[in-house]
Amino acid sequence: MATNTVSPAAPAFGRVSFVRTALVLMRLAWARTGSPLLIIGVLAVLALPVLFSLVFASRGALSGDPVDFLLARFDTIVSGLATPLIALLLGTSAFSAETDDGTLLYIVTTTTPRWWIVLSRLLFAALLTGLLAAVSVFASGFVAVGLSDPEGIVTAYSVAVFYGGVTYASLFTLLALLTRRSLVVGLIYVLFWEGALSETFQAIQYLSVRKWMTAIAEPMMQGGGDGVGPSALYALVGAAVVVTITVYLGGRRLHEPRMGRIGS
Amino acid sequence: MSAVSVSATPLVFDHVSHWYGDVVAVNDVSAVVEPGITGLLGPNGAGKTTLLQLAAGLMGPSGGAVRVFGETPVRNPAIFRHVALVPERKALPGMLSARAFVEARATLLGLTNVRAAAQAALEMVEMDTVADRAVAGFSKGMRQRTKLAAALVQQPRLVLLDEPFNGLDPRQRLHMMQLLEARAKAGTAVLLSSHILEEIEGVASRILVMLAGRLAASGDHRTLRRMMTDRPHTVRIRASDVRALASRLVTQPAVMGVEVDGADALNVRTTDYTAFSRLLVQAAASAAVTLYEVLPTDESLEHVFAYLVQR
Repeated sequence: MATNTVSPAAPAFGRVSFVRTALVLMRLAWARTGSPLLIIGVLAVLALPVLFSLVFASRGALSGDPVDFLLARFDTIVSGLATPLIALLLGTSAFSAETDDGTLLYIVTTTTPRWWIVLSRLLFAALLTGLLAAVSVFASGFVAVGLSDPEGIVTAYSVAVFYGGVTYASLFTLLALLTRRSLVVGLIYVLFWEGALSETFQAIQYLSVRKWMTAIAEPMMQGGGDGVGPSALYALVGAAVVVTITVYLGGRRLHEPRMGRIGS
Repeated sequence: MSAVSVSATPLVFDHVSHWYGDVVAVNDVSAVVEPGITGLLGPNGAGKTTLLQLAAGLMGPSGGAVRVFGETPVRNPAIFRHVALVPERKALPGMLSARAFVEARATLLGLTNVRAAAQAALEMVEMDTVADRAVAGFSKGMRQRTKLAAALVQQPRLVLLDEPFNGLDPRQRLHMMQLLEARAKAGTAVLLSSHILEEIEGVASRILVMLAGRLAASGDHRTLRRMMTDRPHTVRIRASDVRALASRLVTQPAVMGVEVDGADALNVRTTDYTAFSRLLVQAAASAAVTLYEVLPTDESLEHVFAYLVQR
């Protein structure tokens, strides 16, 4: 085979499109995220609320009020467990894997603005988490009460988990850039901060994404909320702050990614 | 972010130091990398990879300054229009094809004709015929060439390669050398690291020798070869009559010291290995001594580097 060492003409640089760049970064993220193990993990977490609904539906009238049932499941299993766990898996997997094996280098040795890289990865994790969690909420509601949606609970929580998916995904995307043990740190955060402490201490409600999700859902349900804890506006501003901090700090971190050795 | 001027010197290290916590990885290194191929030689842990990372702006130096085409590379993504880094690690996104991977790089670099640029880069490394296969099934050599295609897709003016010949068979190695030489002739500055002198002396016009974070020596490969050959050597000789041989050798000007080691062995220190090789044969012949074994005991690269640092 003849060697081809003749250098072709230098290619031209043009105006860079965010959408085109984001699609490439999302594709690269999927190439690192789409492992069978991770997909099974995500589907297992998503199936949890649906399984609870199946048990509820199978017991008919013995199970009690469907509204109370759905409110309790959406608050605990969906908002407090399934949504943050999916966001954790999807938010940390790409950056963590790329940092560990050094392939992040192929992304950061480009002219792409660093904050574009973070925002694209955040969007990837947020959209997937939000959509998957919303589907899980809708499926749980459908199994428990059909399409009737009493008091607008299913619609309200579908919107709330989408919001929660974006917020949690932002947090965990940043975590993946700040620490190499993002999965462990994220799991501790989900179980202790969101699972235990936010239920125990009143003040922590204002710093809990789970409670922010409830604040988003309540105004959309008939009867609204009890007025205790953060408002929907507070929750929206909180999410905006989280996303902004993630993009800013994550972008700064990617300038000097601290990958350790780029050698073997 | 200022525009990068490719007319400036490709790469300058000006008294650069870098440390990780208490560990000094690079210690007061000053060097200039001009168009052409420059080898960065040193044993593992010498600081070669850190130096390449500093050149690519992946981290700032703890002391001194790095200049790439006159610009500070850290926090300056614009330099990657003209700079490429090929890491040693073989990991690539396994689900993607080589073409998809190189096209992804071309998009992230802001090239206008992504497909054409990727095709040209893949042809350059002879990967165009297998470019649509998933990277996961590639051999080490194919991965190495895919990495190179991804690095060369924007035709950079400065290419930094970390141990690029690892995993390549002789034919692939020759092809990569020809490829780098062609880039160098076209005006590209190539800085490639290796811990094997033979690997880079044939291709690099200038070699920087690193040891323990310091720049131990620099020059063309002939200069370095001479420095390495002309250093004091210790040679262990096994012969039929070591005492007779020792009495002949000890009077020779090229011999610094002779030590009899047991009944049939001799350790000789010499300042001129080439001259010693000739006189040893003559001394053995004149003393009617049979030579069983002549073994240099300090020929490892670490010994050579240690000597260069002590000079």
